[in-house]
Amino acid sequence: MNLDFSRILPNIPFIIQGIVDTLLFTALSTFFGFIWGTVLSLLKISGLPPLGWFANIYTSFFRGTPLLVQLSLIYYATPQLTGYNIQPLEAGVLTFSLNSGAYISETIRGGILAVDRGQTEAAKSLGVAYGPMMRDIVLPQAVKNILPALANESINLLKDSTLVSVIGVTDVLRRSQIVAAEKFVYFEPIIVAAVIYYVIVMGLTTGAYALERHLQRSS
Amino acid sequence: MPSNAIYNGVAETAIQIEDLHKNFGQLRVLAGISTAIGRGEVVAIIGPSGSGKSTFLRCMNLLEIPSQGRVIIDGQDITRPGVDIMKVRQNIGMVFQHFHLFPHMTVLENIMYAPRKVKKLTQPAAQELAYSLLIRVGLQEKAGTYPSRLSGGQKQRVAIARALAMQPEIMLFDEPTSALDPEMVKEVLDVMQELAKSGITMAIVTHEMGFARKVADRILFLDGGQLAEDSPPEEFFGQPKSDRAKQFLEKML
Repeated sequence: MNLDFSRILPNIPFIIQGIVDTLLFTALSTFFGFIWGTVLSLLKISGLPPLGWFANIYTSFFRGTPLLVQLSLIYYATPQLTGYNIQPLEAGVLTFSLNSGAYISETIRGGILAVDRGQTEAAKSLGVAYGPMMRDIVLPQAVKNILPALANESINLLKDSTLVSVIGVTDVLRRSQIVAAEKFVYFEPIIVAAVIYYVIVMGLTTGAYALERHLQRSS
Repeated sequence: MPSNAIYNGVAETAIQIEDLHKNFGQLRVLAGISTAIGRGEVVAIIGPSGSGKSTFLRCMNLLEIPSQGRVIIDGQDITRPGVDIMKVRQNIGMVFQHFHLFPHMTVLENIMYAPRKVKKLTQPAAQELAYSLLIRVGLQEKAGTYPSRLSGGQKQRVAIARALAMQPEIMLFDEPTSALDPEMVKEVLDVMQELAKSGITMAIVTHEMGFARKVADRILFLDGGQLAEDSPPEEFFGQPKSDRAKQFLEKML
């Protein structure tokens, strides 16, 4: 074995700083992806044909094309079509939110349909309107049911976030590549990156598990 | 419209049903029911399973949309397009066989939710109302409990309190004791009997013949989606007119 971390030791903090971009990116994409996914799922169950078609075609496009293709499209097409000089992180968050929304919308739709119909009937019989009924009665129960799936989605987002290194976001992977190019050692920086990702994913998994248990207890 | 018709001495109509039909696809569940329920009247709806009792009840607050016919609540035809059904439902409480309490809310939150969200009551006002209702159903010590910790009978009493929190003039009960263990039936029926004395209009789908006989002002006997008999309890249980009712009662009693 010929591994030598001593040469990149001074650069490890530089790689670790990429966690900021990686986590920021994951958090924003998870957040917006969840909101957008919720909207799409509501369109799908709305029973109004044009809205349902839109949501289904949308989902089919974002699930049917590679994420890297979508990222490149948005990063390069936005300045050309709108004149707005989109920043790599913005392009990344936008693409990943749009993409994640498509995936999550199916999960949320399933979660909503799994909530007992009696819940909506009880709310309706009390004169509660559709908006508050979904927000206060149905969605909290739906989200609780699909929490493991949502945690998985954010873990996937975290790992897929390495794709943004392609358009120049200085995330953990990008930084390890920079170090590799500087020091002419290619293997070790990537191992450092892998360890960092693994630790974050384990942290997320543990957190999701704790949250799930907490929610189970409260009812 | 006989808005001042008298039903068993009770003036004014709370619920008027005219030629009510309901089909589920090919299946005809209600085949033309017409009746009226007076203000303050307590009506028990009974009949064999599959006779359309629940569907009939659920048409009264449009949880089922009638295929044909009219439902008139307090003089307002609620089956007409453009009616604000949410507004109508605020005045019609409903209690379900399987309770349908909100599992992620405490007992108190369950009761306070609609008054807060729909009637825009302040937090203290809603809380005071909720506590007074919990006292009424005898569950004040369960205010902070989640529904999963309650027995069936307790759940149903909370569900009654939740429906009453909107201070409705009409209460619909869809087999409120059918999902309960036998020893819990009485506590729920006691609450309902208390409620019946308060002057609120009640329509109750039930299999509890003793309760129907004791508490109801009138029995509606449904069979095959039709109103087979409509008479006071002593008459219905004493000398039923139709053969179907006779057969039914022989099996039940």
